[in-house]
Amino acid sequence: MDRNQRPRSIIDSLGEELIAILTPVSICMFTVVLLVCILNSDPSSSSSASFSSIATAAYSESDSDSSWDKFVGAFLNSLVFVAAITVATFVLVLLFYLRCVKFLKFYMGFSAFIVLANLGGEILVLLIDRFRFPIDCITFLILLFNFSVVGVFAVFMSKFSILVTQGYLVWIGVLVAYFFTLLPEWTTWVLLVALALYDIAAVLLPVGPLRLLVEMAISRDEDIPALVYEARPVIRNDSRLVQRRVWRERRSGQNDNDDVENRTNRNEVVRVVRSAEVDEEHVGSSERAEIYVPLIDRRPDQAENSETFLEGIGLGSSGAIKLGLGDFIFYSVLVGRAAMYDLMTVYACYLAIIAGLGITLMLLSVYQKALPALPVSIMLGVVFYFLARLLLEVFVVQCSSNLVMF
Amino acid sequence: MEDSRSDDPNLNPIRNRNPNPTPNPLSTIISSAQVWPTIDGPLGLTEEASVDYARRFYKFGFALLPWLWFVNCFYFWPVLRHARAFPQIRNYVVRSAIGFSVFTALLSAWALTFSIGGEQLFGPVYDKLVMYNVADRLGLSGLA
Repeated sequence: MDRNQRPRSIIDSLGEELIAILTPVSICMFTVVLLVCILNSDPSSSSSASFSSIATAAYSESDSDSSWDKFVGAFLNSLVFVAAITVATFVLVLLFYLRCVKFLKFYMGFSAFIVLANLGGEILVLLIDRFRFPIDCITFLILLFNFSVVGVFAVFMSKFSILVTQGYLVWIGVLVAYFFTLLPEWTTWVLLVALALYDIAAVLLPVGPLRLLVEMAISRDEDIPALVYEARPVIRNDSRLVQRRVWRERRSGQNDNDDVENRTNRNEVVRVVRSAEVDEEHVGSSERAEIYVPLIDRRPDQAENSETFLEGIGLGSSGAIKLGLGDFIFYSVLVGRAAMYDLMTVYACYLAIIAGLGITLMLLSVYQKALPALPVSIMLGVVFYFLARLLLEVFVVQCSSNLVMF
Repeated sequence: MEDSRSDDPNLNPIRNRNPNPTPNPLSTIISSAQVWPTIDGPLGLTEEASVDYARRFYKFGFALLPWLWFVNCFYFWPVLRHARAFPQIRNYVVRSAIGFSVFTALLSAWALTFSIGGEQLFGPVYDKLVMYNVADRLGLSGLA
């Protein structure tokens, strides 16, 4: 029986894979911008809200400091944060080396539960408070409980519905990103740049923890137990149908042996997963408002280690693109912080991030090894934010007020 | 090469279909297997593992988790569609669907009564139960 379909070109398959990874990133960013716009719209509470966490341990910003003070303070904060993440990543590498995989998986499930129940609950309460939605606490608790427990299942169990797992991962990214946007402004920007640099170091240097982690995972042919978004593998008609996680063959130089039918499909490459770990900072109680959540005791000096967020991009076991959850989070933090200024900066930063992600994916297909996904996008995003804020805004405002362009 | 229509009414009409007639031995092996029980198709579970999963989801759902029942039905949607394909899985999935419907009906009845009835129906208890007051009392909404 002849196939009358036209042969799928590289553009079709590449486009499908790109869309498969761009869609969840966009959804995550969009949701964070939406939350920021809704919840921060009353000006009385926004600027004074301070919340202490490990990222503001060295210096907490106040409006009266000079710019240089703020910058130095932000720099110190970032150093502390990056140091904490490095330590946490090395701990993860050590645990993985000692084969404590069960503990890591349990920890992952536990941190997902904390994020979903705690942070999710807080955001829902904030939304309910904002809209005065007449829901009662029994229904609310049942819904929150359901949502969190099924989320833990989705993250914990390896063979779960792809759509539900992806949805929950995006949702976890949204929740953590929203809380990161509550950091003071200078700290956020310096922190983003510092994390981009850290990502390059951790992934590309031979001594970097993520590189060690990935090499160990490859040599043992295992999955890293971590929160990683894996796009649904694209099944092509002309290649062999592959069951997920069945084949993990290294690509040898046998690309010409297409007639060897038992070989992997041409998408099957060295299974590399890039990971960097992001310590989720502990949302401690602020200096002024007491935030007491009955579920968990908050201690501002202790980092809440849900360190299984990964940054970095790589190829999954079936050739699908894997993007660490830390990337989702920090892209969304950048866009969320841009949203706090104006929507114009949001558009600029969104396009910059998507362009950066596209560049990273192209580099991934060229180099065929795991790459850090943060640096290009974050650098472009930060540059475009400042350009838009300093230069574009003046231009657009002048044009609009003179009715030249809207 | 098998005829997809069979005279035998007991045979599962799905099992012998061969939808992907490429001359590739591996794809013929895979495509001559039955319809996959999960919504993910070939990326999802095999039938044996599905029974285990369906049973576990069904049992866990009794811990006040109707959403888990819903996810169970969603995940095994092909089981519900092809009525005679997977009898064991279907048992659990149908029961999950019933459980989800019943629980949702009860919960939404309560929630709607609460929100529509409001203060007139409940009196002072309303203020004690409604979420934004509870949040204010416990200080949960002071973050932003």
